[in-house]
Amino acid sequence: MTVTEERATGSAGGGLRRARRGVGNAGSGPGPAGRRPHARRGGLTFLFLALPSVILVLLLTAYPLVYAAYQSLHQGTLISDGPFVGFKNYANQLSSAAFWHAAGFTLLFTVVGVFGSWIVGLVFALVLKARLPASGVFKVLLLLPWVVPVVVTATAWNWLVATPQSPLPVLAKALGFGDVLFLADPTLAIILVCLFKVWVSFPFMMMMSSSALAAVDTNVYEAARVDGANRWQTFRHISMPIIARSTYISWILMTIFCVNDFPTIFLLTGGGPANATMSLVVMAYTTTFQSFQPGPGVAIAFMMTLVLVVISTVLYRQIRKVDIE
Amino acid sequence: MTDQLQSKGFSRRGFLGFAGAAAALPLLAACSGGGGGSSGGKGGIIKFWNMPWASPAFNVKDKQITLAYKPPKGLGAATYQIVQWATFTQTFGSAIASNTGPAVSSGGGLQAFQYAAQGKIAYADNLIATFKKDGTYDDFVDGAWDAMKTDKGYAAVPYAYDMRVMYYRKSLIEKNNITLPTTWDEWLAVAKDLKKVGMYAYGVGGGAGNNVGVQSLISLMINNGGGVFDADKKFNPVTDKNIEAMDFVRELISAGAVDPSSVTYTPDNVYAQWKANKFVIGFWSPGLSVNTGLSDIEVMPPLKSRSGESGALYFPNNLMMYKETPSQEGSEAFLSYYVKNMHQLWDSQVFSSVPVLKSIVNSEPFKKNKDGLGAAKYYLPVAKTLASPGGQAVFPAIATMDGTAPSLAFGQVMLAGKTDSKKALQDWKTAVESA
Repeated sequence: MTVTEERATGSAGGGLRRARRGVGNAGSGPGPAGRRPHARRGGLTFLFLALPSVILVLLLTAYPLVYAAYQSLHQGTLISDGPFVGFKNYANQLSSAAFWHAAGFTLLFTVVGVFGSWIVGLVFALVLKARLPASGVFKVLLLLPWVVPVVVTATAWNWLVATPQSPLPVLAKALGFGDVLFLADPTLAIILVCLFKVWVSFPFMMMMSSSALAAVDTNVYEAARVDGANRWQTFRHISMPIIARSTYISWILMTIFCVNDFPTIFLLTGGGPANATMSLVVMAYTTTFQSFQPGPGVAIAFMMTLVLVVISTVLYRQIRKVDIE
Repeated sequence: MTDQLQSKGFSRRGFLGFAGAAAALPLLAACSGGGGGSSGGKGGIIKFWNMPWASPAFNVKDKQITLAYKPPKGLGAATYQIVQWATFTQTFGSAIASNTGPAVSSGGGLQAFQYAAQGKIAYADNLIATFKKDGTYDDFVDGAWDAMKTDKGYAAVPYAYDMRVMYYRKSLIEKNNITLPTTWDEWLAVAKDLKKVGMYAYGVGGGAGNNVGVQSLISLMINNGGGVFDADKKFNPVTDKNIEAMDFVRELISAGAVDPSSVTYTPDNVYAQWKANKFVIGFWSPGLSVNTGLSDIEVMPPLKSRSGESGALYFPNNLMMYKETPSQEGSEAFLSYYVKNMHQLWDSQVFSSVPVLKSIVNSEPFKKNKDGLGAAKYYLPVAKTLASPGGQAVFPAIATMDGTAPSLAFGQVMLAGKTDSKKALQDWKTAVESA
């Protein structure tokens, strides 16, 4: 019986068994019925000592959040709060076609970014799992897109595609595709921005998958091979379930990275052409700092946060499910 | 709005001020030598914030001018800080909200008017009175002060003009036996000729961090006698003259005058196209020859539009004073010194913008600045602000349009040439109003 099962079933002997194994259960169960006074005093002392840290954390996280919520309910400027408008900023955004267009692009960008980078990262992780000569060098090279600052990589990609004399348009023309407008054509701009996100993110996914795969006991593969499992079956029924927890965590993190990814889009296309690649985070920025409307801008950011919390919660539930299984 | 803020029991500024004061108290106590601090009273330090208006050499020289300031007795000296364009709205906004901003600054062209409307700007009327006494006032070019005027006073002091001027590559024009156009129709004919040799006659960019695309369109509207704000200061771009101007742009695009990729060109992409001999005629601000390093780039005189008018867009950049200052007298003394010494920026060839002082425009060093000189000679007499055609004085509502996402999108849609002019203008109006 696992710790989770013991908690779920409320097994009476669970605590004892955990104690025998040296596994604690700090703070999760009810305390002893008759606490002695010095224990209560100890608790108060602990609270008193922790109070400065608690206040600091509240100041650093809760205050900006509460103030941002306050701003989203006002029609202010960058230097003043302005009149209270209730949920008007939210309602205006939700009834705006531009908002839903940006939401749609953000969804596409996130789905492609998360699953595209995961698939590429996993493939590289599986390839590098095999003992290849100079695999360390390959790993370092493959990590470069993630390690190099995005300002540099976005500028490099811009140089690759921006003008008709850039290398990729020249190559496309030489291959008979004519004048390909990688950034000026809305559809191609969307594809390019998504591809860039996959390229810049796959090393992270590769590292997550590599570390998860490295933890799998090789005996398990050996046993599967003896049982007649082929490579796909081994991957599908052994590797995948074992690395599922790590995979869900990487999905959560990458979802957050993608939804909040400002520099990729802002540096490559600025949200254009004609708002084709306008994401919610870029929209929140331009609304706040270019149109000088922090109320609607923060409202957009808050709605993004809400969606992220929901997605993260769903994926965390999946992780718990994996733990139980 | 300010009154509302002040009436609150708990405000961000109040909180930040309290927290900052509490945190700084021990430090200040430790640093204090027992005398009075320099940040309060008449003799406090004047913080001057300026933007990177040109190459880094500009700010080096600008800092020298600032630090060379010898304040009159009893007033504070000046410090210098560069504020990068990439985050200037955040930098100024957060500093001013927390009362840690500058005493004097430049900034966005509309910044003084926006902050004046929020009660943060110290009007320059008193300084102007001293300029009138010492003759400096008369040195400003005609109309310079008109653009700074608000209902409550002069929000700022004119600094330099940024213009959307037309340039051409002299060597390429000559090489292709082309006569420089003087009217829109001649420009269209030149565009067709240049297209045959793979070159563009309307070189421009409208990508990330590049507002010149949409600004060139507005410049053409003004060129045609139009503009985007009416006499009631309302954003109203759907006018006959603007439609005519945008129809002409569509003709230019059909003639192959516009590089199809230009809708997403960053400033660096634009420079690359000039250097690659692709752009032969195009729009930019004074300083293109410096930015590209091309010696054969010349300012082209403004063209006569289909309506027979000339004109272009300009931005009256300015210097503003803030109410939050250790001493208003100190702010005015520094700004007076700066205005009288800013000629050094042009004398040393580090500033390409068009000066607002006649003495600089007519100076010998400025005659070596061919971009600035061309802009001053050809465009200064006909250039108009974004407030056109309704007026010339700029006002905060212009910020709802200038540099915003709907305007960038309009520029990209128009330059892509796939939309009817009237519909594009109407969509732009709707998008700006709904934002």
